[in-house]
Order: sequence, then structure tokens, then C-alpha cells
Amino acid sequence: MEKVTHKTLACGIELACAEIPDRRIAAIEFRLCSGIADEPPALLGLAHVVQETIDLGTAHYDGRGLSDAFDAIGASHTGWTARESTGYRCVVLPEFLDRAIELHTEYLCTPTFPDDSVEVAIELAQQEITALQDDPQGLCDKLFSAQVFGPLLGRHALGEPETLERITRDDVAAHWKNHYHTGRMIVTAAGGFDAKKLIDLLEKRFAGFGSAAPAGRNGYRVAFEPRQTHHPKDLAQEHVAIAFPGVSVEDASFPVQRVLIAILSGGMSSRLFTEVREKQGLVYWVAAWSETPRGSGVLFLGASTTPERCDKTFDTLLREVDRVSEDLTDDEVERSISGLVAKMRTQGDLTRSRCSELADDLFHHRRPIPPEEKIARIEAVTTERIRQFLADHPRDRLNVLTLGPRVLERAAAVGR
Amino acid sequence: MATSPYTIHTLKNGLLIAIEKMPDVRSAAAGFLARTGARDETPDLAGVSHFLEHMCFKGTGKRDWREVAITFDRLGSTYNAFTSEDRTFYFGWVPHERINDQIELLADMMRPALPPDEFDTEKKVILEEIAMSKDSIDHVAFDFLLERVYEGHSLAWPILGYTETVGALTRDQMNAYMNEHYAPDRMVLVVAGNVDPPRIIDLAERLCGSWKRSGGMHARVAPTTRTGSATQVVDRFQQQLVALTFAAPCATDPLHESAEAAMSILGGSNSRFYWNIVQAGISPHANSFRFDMGDCGLTILSGQAEPDRIEPLLEAMKREAAAISRDKVSADEVERVKNKRRTSLAVEAESPYHRLTQIMDDVDYRGAPRTVDERLAAVDAVTRDSIATFFEKYPIDREGYLISVGPRDWPA
Repeated sequence: MEKVTHKTLACGIELACAEIPDRRIAAIEFRLCSGIADEPPALLGLAHVVQETIDLGTAHYDGRGLSDAFDAIGASHTGWTARESTGYRCVVLPEFLDRAIELHTEYLCTPTFPDDSVEVAIELAQQEITALQDDPQGLCDKLFSAQVFGPLLGRHALGEPETLERITRDDVAAHWKNHYHTGRMIVTAAGGFDAKKLIDLLEKRFAGFGSAAPAGRNGYRVAFEPRQTHHPKDLAQEHVAIAFPGVSVEDASFPVQRVLIAILSGGMSSRLFTEVREKQGLVYWVAAWSETPRGSGVLFLGASTTPERCDKTFDTLLREVDRVSEDLTDDEVERSISGLVAKMRTQGDLTRSRCSELADDLFHHRRPIPPEEKIARIEAVTTERIRQFLADHPRDRLNVLTLGPRVLERAAAVGR
Repeated sequence: MATSPYTIHTLKNGLLIAIEKMPDVRSAAAGFLARTGARDETPDLAGVSHFLEHMCFKGTGKRDWREVAITFDRLGSTYNAFTSEDRTFYFGWVPHERINDQIELLADMMRPALPPDEFDTEKKVILEEIAMSKDSIDHVAFDFLLERVYEGHSLAWPILGYTETVGALTRDQMNAYMNEHYAPDRMVLVVAGNVDPPRIIDLAERLCGSWKRSGGMHARVAPTTRTGSATQVVDRFQQQLVALTFAAPCATDPLHESAEAAMSILGGSNSRFYWNIVQAGISPHANSFRFDMGDCGLTILSGQAEPDRIEPLLEAMKREAAAISRDKVSADEVERVKNKRRTSLAVEAESPYHRLTQIMDDVDYRGAPRTVDERLAAVDAVTRDSIATFFEKYPIDREGYLISVGPRDWPA
């Protein structure tokens, strides 16, 4: 059984940790409430450059020395830059957790951002932007995110070639100084450790690390607008992406939205897989999903198909969303709920998943949500609630993007 | 003496069952391995193994495709299947109290009905998958690499097959292939998690005991690894991908762990490639890895860059390959690799889903699963000297096979 502790530490960090004594590993995540949306408009890509260079030189280590120190304890660690946050996660054997925290403190609190490391990070980001041209799915995500989420939340982590050119080492250091402090930090941990010792260690290591006043805890609003674009590209397949408004993680209807997505795309018996792939053989890949910045939610449908079949695929995707409100069955809802709950339980065996789940809870709800409470909310979803959700959130305003050799003929479908 | 977590049992018809009991977890995973893949196909049937994998989800004697899908989803299973050069594996991960139902469904799928209508529809899906693969530079390059390095051998053709062979494939051809290769004495049932092994064996006997055995495994012919170079010009790609390939030990070779460690030191995370190529700003994509099976293996050094920057990337990769071959790796480098491996084994040990694949791999290639302690011992046995022996026996500082894929016709 796990024991969860949630508190704001004197140093300013908001902590949630789950002690699970029988686990043979420990996972810890440091999440800064600052991301791509917090970059100056002229310096897009800056948050990612900070994340990429923060551990390449510190008060006591050069980049290679710090990596070697992490490897010396067998730490598996990673970092990422997201719309509203930047994260660093680490998995270690429990006996090395203290040392892992010490090393994380080292780079989070005392980075030196060597000039040459910053230059290389910018150069690599430029090359990664070029490489996106050979990754149709990644390119489609970049273009569609900008189109759906707009100038703040729709930014891409890599930035743009012209904004990357402007970034200097001083910009990097300033961004770190302004955005990396305990008042913006959520720390979560799960696995075999002692919570009291963990708290004492974090208090000691992060005392005085910038402002302790809470910051970055509110999201940006998404102003959803109907739109349709086509991006010509020489590809074997056409990528079709559709978006329409949904609800946020914080909304009481979010569990309903999760079940709806499971009905559309949760498994092989889901509607999109069944109708688009299994019955008509139109695609290999088809999916529905939601993206949920704090306070907002957007539903997505996506597929890739050979160009001559893209109109039929487009029509079928939308038809399947419409059909849910027409012929949804209790059996289908029950099956989707059962599947979601079972997956939540099996994921519970994974320590690192539990750690990230806690971070998501604090990020969106400002408290850890017990897994059983989440399960109860999913189990309370009914056929009627899903029908009501679709009535309350009609797909009458569409945002559509196609990437590939063929222009979609169904322009009139948008905004109807 | 510690009790083994494994139960190994063979049914009378030859079906091998390998079970790992994991009492501390709340979930369980099961999978059926068909010991056949793309290398077991004839040229005119290229792609049949992978197509058959899809068809196993498309209906059985007692379930149509929809019932197969509904049963998986009702179980809340995290499920999938994959086809490789030498294997086809079907698996699902569920709360432990549902493992019997998961095994029943998977066993039913191993006797697919291959309905003609579904065969025709699924063929379209496979052709879409082939089209999708042609937009991926990694996919195009890896297929091209095997086509050239193993030219003349069945490992040279792609797992997905070709548009022509998949398009021409008939249901009867697939049925004949399935009857030959999905016999119980060529299959393995793997189970991991919070389960009761005797009950699993009883269940397997009930579900699979009537399957008819064949004449056992076909003999496979190991390929010859060629040297040379080849370029595939693809105008629509923006980047150029180069891969240098060399013969390497197979998955069961005593040098296997040393080869893994060497690749990690050369081109893994915090590796020589990372510090001397990526962090030198030459390219964000440079790595080294192994591709191995029971009877062959490759060392692959791979990198990707804008076409006019490909020469310095290739030179840097060759320079690092020469340096690691010439000078022994350091004791610190070896120790760091071992430490990372210890953590990854601990992570794997808490997940039935990940244990399943490892047990399958061990049973298929080694005949029996290895405990975490046994695998740790193999990792601990790696030394500077054993890595040096690997580089002596399987050199990477001379001519291998160089492939180049992208818009540039280089090297000419």
C-alpha cells in the first residue's frame, strides 16, 4: 500500500510523494511551471535551449562530469519542454535517491551555461527543425498545434529558425533566473523511500533558490477558431487532422470526455478503428485524443491515408463522431469504462508512472487525486452523460489541416 | 537457496510454456510466440508473416473480428502484436484476475479463420502501412541496409513485404504458410505476473492440447554479411542518412553482453558519439546499436544530417570507431554502463509487460529464461578486456557496408 504526502515546503516547493515500501526503485520528477508559452515572442525556442544546456556546466561539474556522476549511480534521467512546463525525471535504485537529488540540485540551481554549449544547442535545434521535414507526423503536429492553439500555446519547443538565431547566452541565463525558482517548482516522487527524509533533503538543498512565492500556476486560455489549411508536400500518404473544442482536465466533465475518446479510439473495438480501418481498410493509423493545457481542452481526430482516399477518410472520421450521439449503447460505454479502469490499475504497477501521475495532479488540480477517486469518476460516466456532453460540445466548429500531395475537397464541411 | 520464479512445461504436442511468478505485482501479461518471421518466407510470399499477424485479429472459429476486439477491450488489456525477421509475438497485459481470459483469447487467435472478405479488406490496410513506411527515412534506410548487407538471403526483404507481393498474395497461400509455421512445436506461451503456474498449465492444456504438431523447427541458414556501399536517392527527403554496418556476434554469443556494452559506450546516452559528435554540433542524430538474432548479428553506426553536412558526420563516426578499436575503453566507461543496466533491470522487474518480452527472448534464443540475478551476472562479467576482444573479433575500423539514403547521390 502506498502512503501519499502532500505539502508546500518552507523552501517554496510543492511536493507530493507516494511511499511504496515494496518497490525496488524510486522515481522523482522536478516540474517547473514555465514552458514554451512563457518565452519572449522574439526568442522562440529559448525554453528548450535552457533545458538542453542546463546540465552542460555547473558550479562543480562540466557537462560530461555531471553525466558521469549520474551514470555512477545508474540513474535513468530525462528532460522535456512542454507548453506550460519544463520537466526533469529520474529513476534510480532507492539507495541512490539522495545522491540523485543532490545532482539535480546541482544543475537546477547552479548552471553556468557555457557559451559553446549554448551555441551548439541552438545549432542542433536548427538541424532538428530541418529534420522535422522528414517526419510527416511530427511536422503535422507542429503545423496543427500552431493553427489550433495560436501564438502562445501553439508554439513548437524547437522554436523557429529566425528566433533561434537571436538567442544569446545571456538570454538563456536570464530565462533560467526568471523562471527557475522554488515558487514555480512541483516535485513528486514514488517508490521505496522515507518521505520525512526526502522532505528534509529537499528543504536543505533548495533553501533560498529564488523566489518561494507561488508562480506559474494559472494556464493560458485557448481561443478556438474554425479554420482549414492545406500544406502541400511530396509524400506517399496524406495526413488528415481535425480539431474541435472539448473540456479541460479540471472540468467536471473531463471523465466523460475520456470515456468518449475511449469509445472513439480506445482499442480495436473502438469506432474509428472499426469503421475507418477494419471495415473500410482506409488507413493503417487512425486515432482520437485530447490535448489539455490548464483550463482548456481540444479534441483531435487524425489519420494518414493514400491521397486518393483522403476525402473518404475525412468524411468517415466526422461521421463516426456524429454517430456516437445517434446509436451509443450501454454495452459500449461499459466496455470502454472497464478498459480505462483496468489500464489505470495495470499502470499502477509502474513506479515511474505513479510519479508522473502525481505531478499531473498537482499541475492541474493542485492536489494529489487518489487513484480510487479517479476510477470512481470514470465509473460514474453513463451513456446519457456522454450524449449530453456531445450536445453541449457539438463538433460544429472545426479546425482542419491536411499535409500531403492532395487538397481536401470537403472544404464546405468546416464551420457548418 | 532461492526458489526459481520460473515454471517451464512442455505439452505433449510440443507447445513450450514459460511462466514467471511475480507475487508483488497486481497485473499479469501473456503472449504467444510463433517462431517464424520474414526470413522464413519464400520470395513470392514476402510480407505473409506480417499480414498473417494482422489476420489473427480478424476472426477465429468462434469469434468474428469484432468479438476479438471487444473481448480485448472488455478485459482492459494493453495488447498488441509484432512481426520481426524471425518472430511473430502476440501479447496482452491485464489485471491479474483476468489473465485466464486473456490467455483464452490469445489461444483462440492462434487458430485464425482467415475470412476471405476480411483478407481483402486487411490487404488494403497493409498496403497503407507500406505507403506510410515509405515516408519514413529511418524505415526506408533500414530496409535498404538489410537488402544490401544480406543480399541473396531471405533477411534481405522487408518485414512488410512489397506492394507487389502483398497485392498478389492469396488466402490459400497464407493458410498453407500458417499451417506449416503455427504448429505448437514451433510456438511458445509466455506468462509473467501474479499468477498460479499449475493453473496456467492446466488452462493451456485445455486450450492448446489438441493443436497438431508438425516436424519441429525448420533449419535456418545463417546469412553472410557483405561489405561495400550503396546509395538510394530519395528526392523528397530533406536529410541524408548514413549507416555503417559490420558483422557482429549473434544474440547467444558469449560476447553478446560485451558487444551491448561497447555500443552503449560508443553511441548510447552519455557516449562518445554524444560528446564528440552531437555536442560538437556536427549532428543531433548519431548513434550505434546492435541488430541480432539467434544466428547472426550486425553492429550499426548511424547518423543523419543535412545533405551538405554528411561528410563531416561520416568522418566523425569513423574517427570514433577507429579510436574505440585502437584504445581500450576505460574502466569508468565500463562501470557506468553496468550501473545503468542494473537500474534498467530493476525497472523491468516491476513490470510483467516488460518481463514478458525478455522471457520470450531468452526462451527463443537460449532455451530458458534467465533470472534478473543471472542477467546481472552476465553484465558484471563484462570487462575492458572482453570489450577489446569483441572489437578484435568483430572489427569496426575497416570496410563494412555503407549505405546512404536521401536527396544526394553520395557517395557516387
